[in-house]
Amino acid sequence: MYNELVMDYSRLKKYKGKIDNAIVQEGKNISCGDEIILYVKLEDNKVIDAKFEGIGCAISQASANLMIENIIGKSLEEVKELIENVNLMVNGSEYDKEKLGLISELSEIKNYPMRIKCFLLAWKTLQLLIKKNT
Amino acid sequence: MLLSSIRNDFPVLFRTINGNRLVYLDNAASTLKPKPIIEKISDFYLKHYSNVHRAVHTLSSESTEMMEESRNILASFLNAKKEEIIFTSGTTMSINLIVESLIRNCFLKENDVVLISAVEHHANFVPWVRLSKFHGFNVEFVKPSGRLGTLEEQDFLKFKELKPKVVSITGHSNVTGQEINIEYIKSIFPEAILIVDGAQLIPHKKIDVKKLNVDFLVFSGHKMLGPTGVGVLYGKEKYLEVMEPFLYGGEMIDRVSFSDVTFNDIPYKFEAGTPNIAGIVGFGKTIKYLENIGFIEIKNHIYDLTFYALEKLKEIDGLEIYGPLDERHLGIISFNLEGVHPHDLAHLLDEKFGVAVRSGHHCAQPLMGILKNESKLSVFPNGTCRVSFYVYNTNEDIDILVEGIKKIKEWFNVQ
Repeated sequence: MYNELVMDYSRLKKYKGKIDNAIVQEGKNISCGDEIILYVKLEDNKVIDAKFEGIGCAISQASANLMIENIIGKSLEEVKELIENVNLMVNGSEYDKEKLGLISELSEIKNYPMRIKCFLLAWKTLQLLIKKNT
Repeated sequence: MLLSSIRNDFPVLFRTINGNRLVYLDNAASTLKPKPIIEKISDFYLKHYSNVHRAVHTLSSESTEMMEESRNILASFLNAKKEEIIFTSGTTMSINLIVESLIRNCFLKENDVVLISAVEHHANFVPWVRLSKFHGFNVEFVKPSGRLGTLEEQDFLKFKELKPKVVSITGHSNVTGQEINIEYIKSIFPEAILIVDGAQLIPHKKIDVKKLNVDFLVFSGHKMLGPTGVGVLYGKEKYLEVMEPFLYGGEMIDRVSFSDVTFNDIPYKFEAGTPNIAGIVGFGKTIKYLENIGFIEIKNHIYDLTFYALEKLKEIDGLEIYGPLDERHLGIISFNLEGVHPHDLAHLLDEKFGVAVRSGHHCAQPLMGILKNESKLSVFPNGTCRVSFYVYNTNEDIDILVEGIKKIKEWFNVQ
């Protein structure tokens, strides 16, 4: 699970921080206490910028960074498709590998049921943010 | 029984985890189970099982006898009366039962003070805090002033003038591994109803409840080699006699009519419904098994392991150990490694080295908040890694753990 991609993306700094005048959503993993604050800026139903704050394990941080990288510039419809495919991937179901790109290199997460919550923290928070704001 | 040969009683210790031999260091969450106890439970189900206390047939009578034999074993283990031993599903239920029954009987009224500590497990924290909202009593918290979550005696002394009605305190922290001096607490609050959460204490300490003069002592079977779903609530007869039951139903009644109900005698009035009969039978066997090893031997063994582990862990740069660094620290060690989240450390210890440790907040979120404030780490990860030892652990287990931590530190390039 701890491949180079996870290690590199877990330390990425460029998507960390606040965005003024963005939509804000907090998320929490109650099993470990890790928290995330997600900032998403929308324009014409498109994600024009996103960042996050919070601390967590390498898997949750890598997943959050990959998520931000993959949603910036995407329409809400495309983001929803992305979320859907991520959920299919962690459940071990068939999913669109093309659409997930680098994220699919973390597909091994499906073999670690105790870590899926770490992986999904950012994604569930994004899902909630979209649900509340569209 | 020699501790060196005890490992043979635990077949699971000989299985491999991801290609390595299992090093089981999550005993504070739950211990492994030895063959003699599994066989006792299996034998009970295969040859004797039926419901208890009701039917007149042979199986019911044998089941009842075996369950009551366990009660006798537990009573003599604690130097209590048989009537003072109530079987519950575990420590959580025992504490909920005490809190609720004390309220129903008006032992605990509006504006009374209940004193607990900030290092409690949620099981001895949440029931008090929640029920105080409905019943108007006040919960005060003893905060640790000592090293990284360590409770000092003067921390308790501050509350002497408050004259708490109830003092409910852990006998041994499940996070910092600190053993609490119950004799001292009894001496500062002689008038209070004293409840001791013994979930982490009783696995390595035989307590004489009469000598210690506690009013209630609760603990679980599964943290001391016994089955899950069974625990003990010891209560002084004078309280149990007058306390209102927590759960109502079958078994706990004397007479039931359309207008009123009278209750069975203690301990049965607190054991509504069909109990965990096989679990209770197994728990009795567990006490016999541990007494055969000897509680002094068990404590000495755990002390030696803890001392050895603390010395080796202290040598790792960037590793922060919580709780006291003296003889009060026993059996459980919580720590964090700078720059590595506890979940990552725990995951990799298991995956690469076969070492089972716990990571997270250990059902003690208030204490995590305190540790966060005092931690010297650049980022405190809202949790810790925790290793905990029991009878079958060895120094070699600790060597494997320490080597694992060092390797993971290298992988994460922690400076």
